[in-house]
Amino acid sequence: MKEATLLVKKEKRDITPYLVFAIPLAFMAIFLIYPMFITLARAFMPAGNKLTFGTFSLSGFTKFGESMMYRKALVNSFIVSLAVTAFCIIIGVPMGYFVARVKMPGKNLMLSLGILPIIMPSFVGAFTWVILLGRQGVVRHFLNIVLGPLGIEVPTIYGMFGMILCMTLTYYPFVFQLSYGAFASANSLLEEAGMLMGASRWYIFRTITFPLILPSLGAGALLVFVRAIGNFGIPAIIGGDKYVLPTLIYFRVNGFWDLNGAASIAVINVAITALVLYLQKRVINRHEYETISATHSEIKQHEGLAIRIIAIVYCLLVLIISLLPQLTIIVMSFYEKWTGLFPQGFTLRNYIRIPTYSHKELFNTFYLSIVATLLAAVLGSLVAYITERKKPKGAALLDLSIMAPFILPGTVVSVSLLSAFSGASVIALGGTYTIIIISYMIRRTPYVYRSVAASLSQLNPSLEEASTIAGASWFYTFRRVSVPLIMPAIIGGSILTLTTLLQELSTTILLYSPKTRTVPIQIYGAVADGKLGEASALSVVLLIVVFIIVYAMNRKQGKSIASSFKMG
Amino acid sequence: MSLSLTYHQVNKVFDQHAKNPVHALKDVSFTIEEGELFCLLGPSGCGKTTLLRSTAGLETITSGQILYGERDITAIPPFRRNIGMVFQSFALYPHMNIFENVAYGLRVRKTPEEIVKKKVTEVMELVGLTEELKRNPSPTGLSGGQQQRVAIARALVYDPDILLLDEPLANLDAKLRRYMRAEIRRIQKATGITTIFVTHDQEEAMAIGDRLAVLRRGVVEQIGTSNELYTAPNGAFVSNFIGKMNFFNATLKSPTAAQIDTTPITITANEKKIRFASTPKTNSSVLIGARPEQMEVVTQKDSDAIAGKVQIIQHLGQVVRYEVAIDSKISPTTLEIDMPLMLDGVHEQDDVFVKVKEGLPFLFSVEEQN
Repeated sequence: MKEATLLVKKEKRDITPYLVFAIPLAFMAIFLIYPMFITLARAFMPAGNKLTFGTFSLSGFTKFGESMMYRKALVNSFIVSLAVTAFCIIIGVPMGYFVARVKMPGKNLMLSLGILPIIMPSFVGAFTWVILLGRQGVVRHFLNIVLGPLGIEVPTIYGMFGMILCMTLTYYPFVFQLSYGAFASANSLLEEAGMLMGASRWYIFRTITFPLILPSLGAGALLVFVRAIGNFGIPAIIGGDKYVLPTLIYFRVNGFWDLNGAASIAVINVAITALVLYLQKRVINRHEYETISATHSEIKQHEGLAIRIIAIVYCLLVLIISLLPQLTIIVMSFYEKWTGLFPQGFTLRNYIRIPTYSHKELFNTFYLSIVATLLAAVLGSLVAYITERKKPKGAALLDLSIMAPFILPGTVVSVSLLSAFSGASVIALGGTYTIIIISYMIRRTPYVYRSVAASLSQLNPSLEEASTIAGASWFYTFRRVSVPLIMPAIIGGSILTLTTLLQELSTTILLYSPKTRTVPIQIYGAVADGKLGEASALSVVLLIVVFIIVYAMNRKQGKSIASSFKMG
Repeated sequence: MSLSLTYHQVNKVFDQHAKNPVHALKDVSFTIEEGELFCLLGPSGCGKTTLLRSTAGLETITSGQILYGERDITAIPPFRRNIGMVFQSFALYPHMNIFENVAYGLRVRKTPEEIVKKKVTEVMELVGLTEELKRNPSPTGLSGGQQQRVAIARALVYDPDILLLDEPLANLDAKLRRYMRAEIRRIQKATGITTIFVTHDQEEAMAIGDRLAVLRRGVVEQIGTSNELYTAPNGAFVSNFIGKMNFFNATLKSPTAAQIDTTPITITANEKKIRFASTPKTNSSVLIGARPEQMEVVTQKDSDAIAGKVQIIQHLGQVVRYEVAIDSKISPTTLEIDMPLMLDGVHEQDDVFVKVKEGLPFLFSVEEQN
C-alpha cells in the first residue's frame, strides 16, 4: 500500500439534485402544510374571520350539538356517502363481473361509455336530472301521467333521493372499472385449480374469486366514499333544503365570511374521511395478497344463453340511465326551455351567445387549468422522483403530505388557502389567479405523483446507474434517461389533471373573483338562475373539449379511455 | 489506458445505525493486476455485488480505500471514475436506438459527431454487431445475446479504465451462456481492459477468469487461478464451492493422520493437502475431504471400506456418479462418487462399500458450513 495515494483531494459534491428538490418541498411547506396548520388553528377560534391565537374556543364544534342545521348536515353527509358507496357497489360489481366474465359483444364500447359519467362534471349531471326529474321534469311528468291515476306520485329530484341517485350514477364507474379490472386480470389457474379439486362455480366465486378482488373493491369503494363526502356541486344544485358538510362550509364562508367556523366544519369533514381511509386500510391490509403466477391464461367466460341475456340487459340498462344526462344536455342546449314532455323553442342562441358572454370565462378556464397542470406535472414528477429514487428519511411523510389533498374535499382546500392567504395575510392572494392555480396544484398533483411513482417503481434503477457509470452527472441522467422513460406516466397524470381541472367547481367557487370566473362557475350561476339552455350549451362545449383531449391522447398513447381514468 | 485496481481494508456496513446492521464487506484487501480478467465468486449474499458496486461508486464504502492504479477514488462520485459497467438486466435504453445506446457515454463526454460514429462502428465490430448497427433498431427488438453485446459495447466505447460485469450471463439460456463467456473473454483480451466479472456460478468463474476471488459473508476466503483453487483450496468452504468435496467427520491422531469417526479406519494425508486454519491438538475433531474422483465404490467388504447404500446412479457420459448414503455420524450428507465405469450388478438401493483413495484426500479444520 503506497501512502502517496492518499493525496487525492476531495472532489466537490454535485448539489444540483438538492437545489432541484428544495423547490417542491418549499412549495408544499408554504401552500399545503402551513394552510392546513392555520385551518386547524382557526377551527379552535371563535366564529369570524379574525386570526386570534391564544383564544381557544370549541364553538365551531359545539355547533354540531347545538344547531339543528349543523347536526342535520353531518347526518346527511353520512347517509348520502354511505348510501352512494353501497349503491355503487351493488351496481358496479355485477357490471364488472358481467363485462369481464360473460361472453358478449361490444365490451370495449361498454368500458368506454362506462367511464363517461366520471369525465362529465358531476354538477352538470345534477342539473340535467333537474330537467328529467325536477318539478316540471320530463320523466317525472311522464311517469305522473302514467302512474297518477294509481295515486302514486314520483318524488322530485330535490333532496336526499336526488343526491344519492345523482352521485351513484356519477361514481359507479369507479367500482365498475376497478372490479372489471380485477375480475378480468385474475389468474385463471387459481380458479381452475379450485375446479379440479371439486369446487362448484359458486363455491369458487365465494372462496377464491371474491376474496382476491376484495382489495380492488375496497379501493373503489373508498374512492366513491371520499368523492361523495367531498362533493359540492350535486348537493349545491339539487340538495334543496338538505345541507351536507361541503355546502355548509360554502354557506359559512359565502354567507357569513366566517372562516373560523368553516375551518371547524372542514376539520370534521377531513376527520371522517381520514377515519374511513384508516378503516379501509385496516380491512384491506388483512386481505392483500401477492399474486403468485408464472403464466396467465385467458379467463374462461360464461357462455350460457340465459346469463348472457341477463348480463347484456343489465349493462345496457345501467349505461342508458347513467348516460341520460349527457343526451339530455345535448338536446337541451338547442332549446329555450324543457318543461313537460317535449323541449320548446328550438334555437341556436345558446351557442351563438357564448363568444360574447363567455369569452373571459373560457380564457380563464383554459389559462388556469393549463398553467396549474404544467406546474403540477413538474411538482408531482419531482416529488415522485425524490420519494422513489432518493428515498430520503422522511419519504413516508412526503408521500403522505402529497397524497393528503387526494382525500381533502375541494371546499376544504379552499378554506385552508383562504385561511392562510386572504385579507391582510403576509402573502395576500385573495381573488387572484395565483390562489386558484395553487389550489388546483394542491388538489391535482397527487394524480401526476401517483402515476409517475408507479412508473418509476417499475423502472429498473440500473437504467439510471448505467448512465451514471457512463459518466453522466445527476442532471444529465435525469434529463436524458429518467424523464424520457417516465414521460408516458407524466402525460397520463397530466391529462387526468387537465380534464378534471377544466370542470373544477368545488374549489373555485370559494376562491373566484369577478376577474377570475371560470366556465363551471358560469354554468353553476346559469343553473341557479334557471337558464338551463345556456348552462347546457356551455356544458356541451366543456364536454367536447374534455372528450377531444382524452381521445387524442389515448390515440397517441394507444390506450383506452378507460385506462387513463382508472386511477381516479 | 488500463489500470490495476487495489482494495485496502474495505468495509461496508448497511443500515449502520439501524437495529440490525449488515456487515456486507469485512476488511477486503487485494489487488487486481492491469489487464486482468478477475472473477468475484460466491453464494448469494456473500458481498460480491456489493464489492462491485462499491468499485463503481454506486455504493459508498464505510471505511477503507479503493485505488485505480495509484489514484484513490474512494471519494470520487461514480460519474467521474471513467468506468464501464454491464448490468445483469443489461439496462439498455428502450427510448433510444442501438446507435444512441452505444454512443451514450460519448455524448456525455461531448465527443464530436465524426468520432462518435467512428468509435461506435469500431466497438460494434468488436462485439460482432455490424449488421444490427446498419438496421439500427430499438434494443427491445434484439435477442438476449445481442442485447448483451450492445450492453458490452456501450460500456467499452469510451475506453474506460476498468470494466465491471455484474452477473452479465444470468439472463441468458444455458447454451448462449457458454458461448458468451468465451466471447467476453475474447473481447476482454482484445481490449486489454482490467475487468471484474461477478458470478455465483463456479463453472462460469473457472472458465472465464484469469484469477478468482471466493467470497463468503463479506470475507475474501481465497484468491487464485482456477487450478490453484481446485487443487489447493485453503479451507473446507472453498473446496466444496469450487468443485464438489465429500467430508468425513474424523479425529486427529497424529499431525498428518485422522481416524474416521465410528470406524477403525485411519487416513493419512499428504503434507501438501493439510489445510488447518491453526494447528489442532491431537484427538480434536477435523474433517477429511475427498473429491468424487478421489473415492471409489466397491461391492466387497474391506478393512478400509465404509458401508453405505446407493441412493441414485447417474450416467454423466465420461463418468458414472454414485450417490451413496453412509452413517450420518460420519457424513450427514450423501457422498458423491465418480467412477469411470458402471459397476456390474449394483443398482439403486443396493448395499455397497465406499473407499477413499490413498494419498489424495485433504484434511480441513471443522468450520461452519454454508
